[in-house]
Amino acid sequence: MTTRRDFLTRLAGGAAAAVLTAPRAHAQQRGMIMHDTSMVSKDSSNLFVMDQGAAREVRLPAKANAVPVLDADARDALEHRIRCQCGCTLDVYTCRTTDFSCQVSPAMHANVMDLVKGGHSAQEIIDAFVGVYGERVLMAPKKSGFNLLAWITPGAAVVVAGVGIVLWLKRWRERSAGIEAARATFVPPTDIDATPEELERLQAAVRGDDDR
Amino acid sequence: MTLIGELSLWVALLMAAWSTTVSYAGGALRRDDLADSGVRGLYATFAMVLLASIGLWTALLSRDYSLEYVAGHISTNMPNVYVFTAFWSGQAGSMLFWALILSMYGTIAIATSRSRNRELIPWATGTLSAILLFFIATTCFKANPYTHLDFMPIDGRGMNPQLQNPGMALHPPNLYLGYVATAIPFAFAIAALFTRRLDAEWLGVVRRWTLLSWFFLTIGIVLGMWWAYVELGWGGYWAWDPVENSSFLPWLTNTAFLHSIMIQEKRGMLRKWNVVLVVVSFLLSIFGTFITRSGVIESVHSFAQSPVGTWFAAFFFLATGITIYLVGTRLKDLEARAELESMVSREAAFLYNNLLLVGIAFAVLWGTVFPILSEWATGNKVTVGPPFFNTVNIPLGLLLLALTGIGPLIAWRRASVSNLKRQFASPAAFGVIVAVLLIALGMRDVYALVAYALCGFVAGTIIQEFYKGIRARQAIHNESVVAGFVHLVGRNRRRYGGYIVHAGIVMLFAAFAGLGFKTDHDITLKTGDAYDVVDPYGHKWRFVSQGVSTSDRPDRVSEGVALETFRDGKRIGIISSEKRQYKDSQGNALFEKSTEAGIKSTARLDTYVVLAGVRDRDTAEMRVTFNPLVVWVWAGGFVMMIGGLIVMWPQAEKRRAQAGYTAVMPPAGAGAAAELPVTV
Repeated sequence: MTTRRDFLTRLAGGAAAAVLTAPRAHAQQRGMIMHDTSMVSKDSSNLFVMDQGAAREVRLPAKANAVPVLDADARDALEHRIRCQCGCTLDVYTCRTTDFSCQVSPAMHANVMDLVKGGHSAQEIIDAFVGVYGERVLMAPKKSGFNLLAWITPGAAVVVAGVGIVLWLKRWRERSAGIEAARATFVPPTDIDATPEELERLQAAVRGDDDR
Repeated sequence: MTLIGELSLWVALLMAAWSTTVSYAGGALRRDDLADSGVRGLYATFAMVLLASIGLWTALLSRDYSLEYVAGHISTNMPNVYVFTAFWSGQAGSMLFWALILSMYGTIAIATSRSRNRELIPWATGTLSAILLFFIATTCFKANPYTHLDFMPIDGRGMNPQLQNPGMALHPPNLYLGYVATAIPFAFAIAALFTRRLDAEWLGVVRRWTLLSWFFLTIGIVLGMWWAYVELGWGGYWAWDPVENSSFLPWLTNTAFLHSIMIQEKRGMLRKWNVVLVVVSFLLSIFGTFITRSGVIESVHSFAQSPVGTWFAAFFFLATGITIYLVGTRLKDLEARAELESMVSREAAFLYNNLLLVGIAFAVLWGTVFPILSEWATGNKVTVGPPFFNTVNIPLGLLLLALTGIGPLIAWRRASVSNLKRQFASPAAFGVIVAVLLIALGMRDVYALVAYALCGFVAGTIIQEFYKGIRARQAIHNESVVAGFVHLVGRNRRRYGGYIVHAGIVMLFAAFAGLGFKTDHDITLKTGDAYDVVDPYGHKWRFVSQGVSTSDRPDRVSEGVALETFRDGKRIGIISSEKRQYKDSQGNALFEKSTEAGIKSTARLDTYVVLAGVRDRDTAEMRVTFNPLVVWVWAGGFVMMIGGLIVMWPQAEKRRAQAGYTAVMPPAGAGAAAELPVTV
């Protein structure tokens, strides 16, 4: 499986490198026997490649005379925020309750249960998971540091563009008002040798009406 | 036939290269003979790609396992329907399929508009051929479906049973049809930039093909949702997966364009912006394919991860670069000269509509690529999942829904206070009534209340528009309500077809808001055990396990559970769910386990049962999900499709030439929304 970093490196290396290395990879593939699982993972016949060994231990020492602070609902809500690492891209709760073949989400769930039993709060549990897996274990990035950008940018962009549109409309409106005023004071010369229809067509051309 | 197909593919490559070269040369040198040769080259490319495709279909249907593609995607015992659809189920085949659609679209688009857009044709043909050249070259060199194996396997690998589903057979081709259709407006936009010409003919071609793209993307997306819901078993239909997002992006920009194009038609405004939207839709389609194919972003749809990704990246950046250059140097020549008469006008409403649609597209794109940005900037991998997209998009989506209602009520050019009052009174009252009713019924969720109030408001505007139109027809033609409705829609397909699409959108939003009331219940039941639970509407449900069954069939082992279901004491029936493990003839497991969800649908509620697994022979672990209003997603999608068809339905030539300028002289009282002719 090409990792993201591999891919970016290759991209940086340029298409030429990929072209050069490709024929070799291809030759290997052709020599393969059917039903080889490595071929399965290469094509769309499988929806995703499950990594059954992806679970890691997330443990904290239990608090002294620990009392669980999370009830079952709060725990499920917490598990909705943690991502299963099997490759399904679902959260732990959804994965463990729908996909019995995944061994990763039950393992992660067991860790959550132990931490809850140890009296840890939701935030402490989240932090423990981030400590072990890194921030990618969360279903959405934290609202702090560089990742705050993820949350702010879309809204900020829409607001800035919205204000921009209003200002632009205002300026346009003012310019249009100027033209309207000019038109209101415009008296068509009467001594021109033209029919009313021709004058109207001329005015239409001046207004830009024919400009679709 | 296989050999003919394989050779045709290479001839197609040469043809596309020829067409690209002579078309651009013909445009630059103003040589009609070269331009004509380019057009013929495009037709020939289509013929060759068609032959290559027929060759592959023949190889698939005759089970020619000497081809790696055939051996890798089908098996002898698969039904022919899915053998046929296996054409686009893999990388190499889908590249060829893409080339097939593009060459077909290109041929139709050029053939039908050739006589009217003389100056644009060489540039449009050249651009289409260049895109085609890229796809055919990728097919030939990087993902050739005609790659031969050194040996002849006895049977093929088959297709993942989860993909053997009618939804999955139709979802990819619809998406492809939608994605690829963005190439036609793109080619004409590039042609407009090259020639600095952009007139009503241009508008007609670009609008038609964008509409087609929108139509197929809508169907493709909704079918994908339906498939995910019934087949994947996690109880939802949209997960903000990068690949889902990448199909949503061009849909959003297409939708934005279909609205802003009306301003250009009526007022000659926003020409530059429309060119930009057209170009962006195409680039997003390519970007979507690039994401799907490269594995650069983690996704469930991590199909093949092959060097095709690199080619796509190169093509994407090249196309973007050229487009930015052209837009930067030529766009100023497409200046508009119209005037804005009021800040409160339909023109302004459409601008905000565009702002929101493009804003949502940006938010989705931003969330999709943010993991890459974050990894570059900080070295940390992050996940940007549903919580992010929901938080960011719900407010924007609600604003957009509000505009869906506001837009049609505001007059073009300038809206007066009195007509605003008259137009808004009933729909606004409708929205308020909905909100008050729901509060009285005990709904307290603010987002949901806002969503339903807005749904009521928008539904009110749509009903008001139809009511006024039908009343007007009745007054003039003395028609029945039904005849009035049919004629109203028939005579002004774009406007009323558009309202029907809006009605579909209202259904979708109502269904999405229902998601907030979804409840999950983990249940473990032995045979004969019962489980009692209350659904979001307050009804009491009882599920009684009828026992666990296992069946061992030649192609799969499955475990199933059947639940006898009661609602408020009344028997509803049996809901059953299965977990399947497919296997080959040696009994080796094939693919991951798959789920058959048990779904009981009503207009108000889906009861969704998934068997998670079986313990101790008779203990079933399950999840029961109460999913309110899901049916309205499919209904809304269907209504949007019907609306789209009405808008697209070809009109007689004379009427189409006038489309957008059609004057519907309103009887007194229909007032503000009347579309008066603007041009002379």
